[in-house]
Amino acid sequence: MKRSTLHQTTLYAAVFLVCAFLIFPIYWLFITAISPPDQLRVLPPRFWPEIPRWEVFGQVIRERPILLWLGNSALAAIGSVILSMTVSVLAGYSLSRFRVRGGQSLGLFILTAKMLPATLLVIPLFGIFRTMDLIGSLWSIILAHATLIIPFTTWMLKGYFDTIPRELEQAAMVDGCSPLGAMVRVILPVSAPGLAATALYGFVLSWSDYAYARTFLTNAQTNWTANLGITTMKGEYISNWGDISAASILIALPVLIIYLFLERYLVGGLTAGAEK
Amino acid sequence: MKSGFGLDLARPSRRHWLGYLLLAPAVLLIGLIIIYPLIVSVDISFQNVNIARLDQPRRPFTTANYERLFSSPDFWNASWITLKLVVIVSLFCFLLGLGTALLVNNKFKGQAFARLLVALPWAVPEVIAVVIFAWMFDSSFGLMNWVFIKLGFIDTTVNWFSSPVAAFAVVCVTMIWKGYPFVSIMMLAGLQSIPDDFYNAARVDGANAWQRLVNITIPSLMPVLGVTLILVMLWVFRDFSIIYVMTGGGPLKATQTLSIMTYEQAFGFFKMGYASAIGVVTLIVCVIASRLMIGRAPDNI
Repeated sequence: MKRSTLHQTTLYAAVFLVCAFLIFPIYWLFITAISPPDQLRVLPPRFWPEIPRWEVFGQVIRERPILLWLGNSALAAIGSVILSMTVSVLAGYSLSRFRVRGGQSLGLFILTAKMLPATLLVIPLFGIFRTMDLIGSLWSIILAHATLIIPFTTWMLKGYFDTIPRELEQAAMVDGCSPLGAMVRVILPVSAPGLAATALYGFVLSWSDYAYARTFLTNAQTNWTANLGITTMKGEYISNWGDISAASILIALPVLIIYLFLERYLVGGLTAGAEK
Repeated sequence: MKSGFGLDLARPSRRHWLGYLLLAPAVLLIGLIIIYPLIVSVDISFQNVNIARLDQPRRPFTTANYERLFSSPDFWNASWITLKLVVIVSLFCFLLGLGTALLVNNKFKGQAFARLLVALPWAVPEVIAVVIFAWMFDSSFGLMNWVFIKLGFIDTTVNWFSSPVAAFAVVCVTMIWKGYPFVSIMMLAGLQSIPDDFYNAARVDGANAWQRLVNITIPSLMPVLGVTLILVMLWVFRDFSIIYVMTGGGPLKATQTLSIMTYEQAFGFFKMGYASAIGVVTLIVCVIASRLMIGRAPDNI
């Protein structure tokens, strides 16, 4: 009994130490944000500010176009998720339920599309969007992010539909539903949790992008996304780390919150298509 | 059980117009925003193109971009740096990811919360991770200079981003921190699929903790381990944001990977034909490497 208590204590200590060590950078970002600027220029550094300046978040929102950037990021993410989900739900369902000639090769192609380097795809997309006069517009980002999202969502959804028994559709069709009706009225409602998790995963992918925003939006300040905006703050002549940290927290927050909800489904997203 | 539409979903061969119809939008969109651009990039990699525009006539076919590429010291330098980065970052992501997974997989109160915490950096956008580490390794008031001086590793403050070795190290640290949670999450999923019976049987046979790890845990994790390793390596291989925002590939090209070089050539020097050639080579390496390592058909990637 005594030995197991000791064992438990060591375990807790180890878990605490490891978590503290690994999460410290996030803690430090937070401390930097709420420390008065002069305290960031003293050594030894302070690990908790004497007077936390909580107002920094309100202040950085007033002084910098953070809300505009967040809004643009949200628009880009929502747009690309709607676009990607629409085609992925249909394609995922088809790949899960039908044997379509060429369907398997399409599935494989989508899977390998996950390996495409963004730095390769960004060049022709730049040419295409220039010709279509989309450079600087959020539409360029919505389309570009769809190239990131579709490979994930299609396979996540195919995997999810595979777990739903076919008897559900058969029953619906016996009751007089058309195949399409069975999908829309029976399968999609049953899949709601999977659809939500997949959409959120796509949202995170879009929200985290920097490469496409940097390429297509740099000269269109009013359309800057959050990640692009924050790098311009970092590039200023004198970096104001307090403000940058506060802005970073505001930008990371939506994804951190989604992560808390998504954690259960994360493995499905990360491994989508990895196993048969 | 036949419906009026001639469709029986329980039958193994179910060809139906609906299957094609449902795939059509995806095929159309993927064709437009992935396949067509890919064809364009291969096409312009064989032309002397500076800025890609589609409404201009094609330039004559040339392999000059590839010839220039393979004779360029910059390309071989970038390949070497990419290789170093992939090996170092993947290795440490693995050690850290597997270690945290094994630790958190123990049964204790608050396990769910610890699991959540340990993989938290996964949810931090790459650009924000760069902000955090750029500040921690700041040359004048960064925390790490102070810590390392206290620990006696260095004598005076180091300007991390002007020394090639130091800048490379900071990039590695940032990528490891951003990348290990993925390994953790995957390993935890793998660990939980190992039946308890295996361990119970081993305990009955008198195997100690180390023997259980080496003889049960690691072998059972092997399939997940392989897939995870490839995904991590591909991520490091292709990553752009972390390095670009942190160092821009410098100093003295010490952190210029193939991705950074591609981007610099395309949007820094506006040599898009040349840049596409680098990108195409990168893609081919990605595909071959992942095939070789998996040693199976590509449908298992």
